[in-house]
Amino acid sequence: MDAAGGGELSLAAVRDALVRLEDSVVFALIERARHPRNAPAYAPAGGGGRSLVEFYVREAEALDAKAGHYQKPEDVPFFPQDLPSTLFPTKSSPQVLHPLASLVTVNDAIWKMYFDELLPLFTVDGDDGSYAETVALDFACLQLLSRRIHIGKYVAEVKFKDAPQDYSPLIQAKDSNSLMDLLTFKAVEEKVKKRVEKKGRTFGQNVTLEDNAGGSGFKIDPTVLSKLYDQWVMPLTKDVEVEYLLRRLD
Amino acid sequence: MAARAICTAALLLLAFVCPSAGLSLDTVREFLTREEDTIVFSLIERARYPINRPAYDPVHLGDGRRLNASFAELFIRESEAVQSKAGRYQSLLEIPFFAYRVPFTLAPPYNFTRELYPAAAFVNVNDAIWSMYFNELLPLLAKTGDDGNYAATVDSDLACLQVLSRRINYGRYVAEVKFRGDQQTYTSLIQAKDRDALMKLLTSEAQEDVVKRRVEKKAIVFGQSITSDGPIETSVNNSSGTDFKVDPSVVYKLYDQWVIPLTKQVEVEYLLHRLD
Repeated sequence: MDAAGGGELSLAAVRDALVRLEDSVVFALIERARHPRNAPAYAPAGGGGRSLVEFYVREAEALDAKAGHYQKPEDVPFFPQDLPSTLFPTKSSPQVLHPLASLVTVNDAIWKMYFDELLPLFTVDGDDGSYAETVALDFACLQLLSRRIHIGKYVAEVKFKDAPQDYSPLIQAKDSNSLMDLLTFKAVEEKVKKRVEKKGRTFGQNVTLEDNAGGSGFKIDPTVLSKLYDQWVMPLTKDVEVEYLLRRLD
Repeated sequence: MAARAICTAALLLLAFVCPSAGLSLDTVREFLTREEDTIVFSLIERARYPINRPAYDPVHLGDGRRLNASFAELFIRESEAVQSKAGRYQSLLEIPFFAYRVPFTLAPPYNFTRELYPAAAFVNVNDAIWSMYFNELLPLLAKTGDDGNYAATVDSDLACLQVLSRRINYGRYVAEVKFRGDQQTYTSLIQAKDRDALMKLLTSEAQEDVVKRRVEKKAIVFGQSITSDGPIETSVNNSSGTDFKVDPSVVYKLYDQWVIPLTKQVEVEYLLHRLD
């Protein structure tokens, strides 16, 4: 999250980041949808070993960590234990969040959601043998979804700063449900769903030189994208917001 | 060796049906057309970050030493090594930028159809692609600046390099299809080592024009700023000037000056080895 204006966070900047991430999420899912399910990539290896996807994500995250990737609160690894430390000097970004922000993670839920619920919705049955490419594309999707959802920490911070008198009593009472209500803006959520579906339609169309508006088929069902955001991305983001806020006064 | 026997047995038991798409002019064209979307997406993703020059300079270690390699090269080497272990370069569809010796991969076994002539399958122009990408394309693609996100930046560089490499080195498959379609003509030219005549035979300016204009259109369509209400604006025309995605003329130029010519270079080189 690049806090424009040297450390000053605004709702507009945070919303901007979320909107741009939508494009990335749509692109990444379209690319994954190019391959069929490729189930062997997710099966435990012989003898109860790890699946290929788990092997790959662990290794890729270790490399990312050495490269200084997990310095920001919105970049959260799926396998945090024993991550190597960074080998390269990284630019330090101003601390805009509460120090306990790093404890908040919903990656287990994201992982489960992605493989158990989402993948079957937008990949066709089948096996084309490209397991390594497939898991690399899965990792790209997972990282983007994780980043989007954990930006909830910034959303929560901005909202808190805007109205600390509304949030503080609820935080002190540890009233998660009321916090959730306070954080929910149905109108905004409807807009997000519509926009993400529109992006799915636009970026997933088959572009030809002929002027055929509507085109022949899409690479991904646009309603899967609105469902993704409606049922999982936005609720999980709010979970992050609540989790963050519950620690905000510590 | 025991592992391999077990794998073969597992293969037979599971009897995966590999629908051999079979190589034809149609399947080849389909593949190349789909790659255009991937290329445009990956360029848009890279263009999110500024040029981030320090990622491409020789690495300075904390103790004053300087490595010969850049952060980008080190990261890409390591990433390719992991992907190699995961079985990425088995099918020959992709060729890594850096060579590895991987004693075995962890990928589940799969019976890949070998479409390429074995003696010619190694042909690739990865060195030229690497050079083109960092020296020519990146300066056109990314705006000046440094936001410190080097890992994410180089990750997106790798995505661009991988798809460009796959698309351009696909010339091997294009050449194989064309060879099979007219063995007599190609054979005599190959035996004469007549590069110019081969290049001429492989070139269809009309086809190339269609490809360039289509990929430019894709850059426009996929580069749009989409809002939930209101008209869809193309980034080239929008008055607010923000959220510049990728300049469609850069994508046109990429195909015109590099992708198409390099692909044909691969086709010619492949053919010259086709009778080895």
